[in-house]
Amino acid sequence: MTQEQPIIETKGATINFNGLVAVDSVNFTMKEGEAIGVIGPNGAGKTTFFNLLTGLFFPTRGKIFFFGRDITAVPPHKRVMMGIVRTFQLVSVFDTLPVIDNLILSTHRISGNQESRGKFFFSDAHHHQMEARCLDALKLMGIENKADIMTAELSYGDKRKLELAVALSLNPKILLLDEPFAGLSDMEICEVSRIIAEVKKKFSFVIIEHKISHIIDLVERLCVMHEGKLIAEGPPSEVLCDPLVREVYWGKEEGLTCSV
Amino acid sequence: MKTDNKMMSLFKTDAGRSFLDIAVIGAGFLALLPILGINRTTDFMIFCVFVLGFNILYGFMGRLSFGHMLYLGTGAYAITLFSEHVSQNPLLAILAGICAGALIGVILGPIIVRTTGACFALINLAFDQVGYFLVLVAFSKYTGGEDGMSVYFSKMGFLDFGQKPVMFGFTLLCLLLTYYLLKKFTSSPYGILIKSIKENETRVKFLGYNTFNYKWITFIISTTIAAFAGALSILNYGYVTPSFIDPSRAVEVIFAALIGGSGSLYGAIIGGVIYMAISNYLASYISRWEMFLGIALLICVFRFRSGIWGFVVDKLKILDQPKERIS
Repeated sequence: MTQEQPIIETKGATINFNGLVAVDSVNFTMKEGEAIGVIGPNGAGKTTFFNLLTGLFFPTRGKIFFFGRDITAVPPHKRVMMGIVRTFQLVSVFDTLPVIDNLILSTHRISGNQESRGKFFFSDAHHHQMEARCLDALKLMGIENKADIMTAELSYGDKRKLELAVALSLNPKILLLDEPFAGLSDMEICEVSRIIAEVKKKFSFVIIEHKISHIIDLVERLCVMHEGKLIAEGPPSEVLCDPLVREVYWGKEEGLTCSV
Repeated sequence: MKTDNKMMSLFKTDAGRSFLDIAVIGAGFLALLPILGINRTTDFMIFCVFVLGFNILYGFMGRLSFGHMLYLGTGAYAITLFSEHVSQNPLLAILAGICAGALIGVILGPIIVRTTGACFALINLAFDQVGYFLVLVAFSKYTGGEDGMSVYFSKMGFLDFGQKPVMFGFTLLCLLLTYYLLKKFTSSPYGILIKSIKENETRVKFLGYNTFNYKWITFIISTTIAAFAGALSILNYGYVTPSFIDPSRAVEVIFAALIGGSGSLYGAIIGGVIYMAISNYLASYISRWEMFLGIALLICVFRFRSGIWGFVVDKLKILDQPKERIS
């Protein structure tokens, strides 16, 4: 037995959508403070695996543990309060609200305690303290000058940063990023990547990505998923040389040599 | 000049804005008084309370109910039965109506708020049908069935609701109070929460909120205000009929919310007044006035997507100017 409790652990996690097994008996463990990349081709079950970890779906079979506690049946909002925070593949911020309002709910959720129940219904959402905290979160992303415009008017990259700011304001213990670079320009990828590198020491995180090159410097361990199964895991250099992984990614080719 | 600035900055604060809004609404209805006459103005204001209650559910949280007459009717019959069997004190009776509205929200909420879209609209309608049947047939012994029944209230010193000016003043007070409470609710974090639920409920769950509870609370707020409006109507008319709970009248409040502009409190009030004006005045000139209501709605759908108030705000962009931030 190891003394150190894994931050998150799945045992035989399986989900079956009417015959389609999207995630198939995945055993996954992660130590606190680790940075893991999940890669795999389209439809490999990466996002569904995230959905299991965060509680959007519940597994058909198998169990999920968070610091040794069984959270298989815990609803998503409670998992968030435990510290399991995620972002979405399709950037999901509230377009009809001003930018700063996107942060008020998460900020209030974290700062709010039992006595502030009444405050939630009656206080002014934009009082100074709250605004200052929200602005701080935006500053971290470098978009504080856009706090008052409507979210719909933000560029896709800025929305991504806003979503990241919301996630960080929830005080995560583990942050699950679902393709944070999808749809961004090269320059924006650099910026977001820099932001992630900056904050990654504070907590554990898992990051889903297609392109290995985007995350290779950010993560310490890679997990490769294919057809719902976890087919390989380990340090990036090792995993990328794994013949099975190479076959999944590049098909069967003899000429390729491992150069990582 | 200096006092001017002071006044302006006062109106920029939250409390100042609410005060300004209330003054504007109060002045607006007082201005309507000589045009419409006291009876109609009171009627209009009661309907506006109803629209406000409906709009918190539809405009803010994005849940369209086809059966809101049930909650209006609950208030109407609750105040009737209370005055018949318990006490004729008008204020207590209104309180009973409000409590009945809250109670029906508490009971039906967990079933209703699970659903969205068409399902939400129709499940409300279904419950409304049940309520209509109960009032009309099953409990006709107590409700007077199709004929309805007269309701009597005792006088409370100067508070004699049989006198029109008293009723008018009281209704205006109730409307302003409802407005103030809703204004408070909708500018709090809770207001942001329900707007967020309208846009993307799943995302709200992943911000750590149990959306079910908040949808339920919103539903209760909405049914309570609707019942409040129902109770006020009975206080005004002194007579209850099944038309207060008739499911086929559910469109009225929907039209009003759409015309005025859902998603804003001013919009609800403007929509309520315009709808009532059309239905009161057009009906006396044209027997099939509903057609014109349909045309008005068509114009709204194609030309004023966010209702008349939404259009005005878009054009002026005065009332919603982003405030200056101290950095």
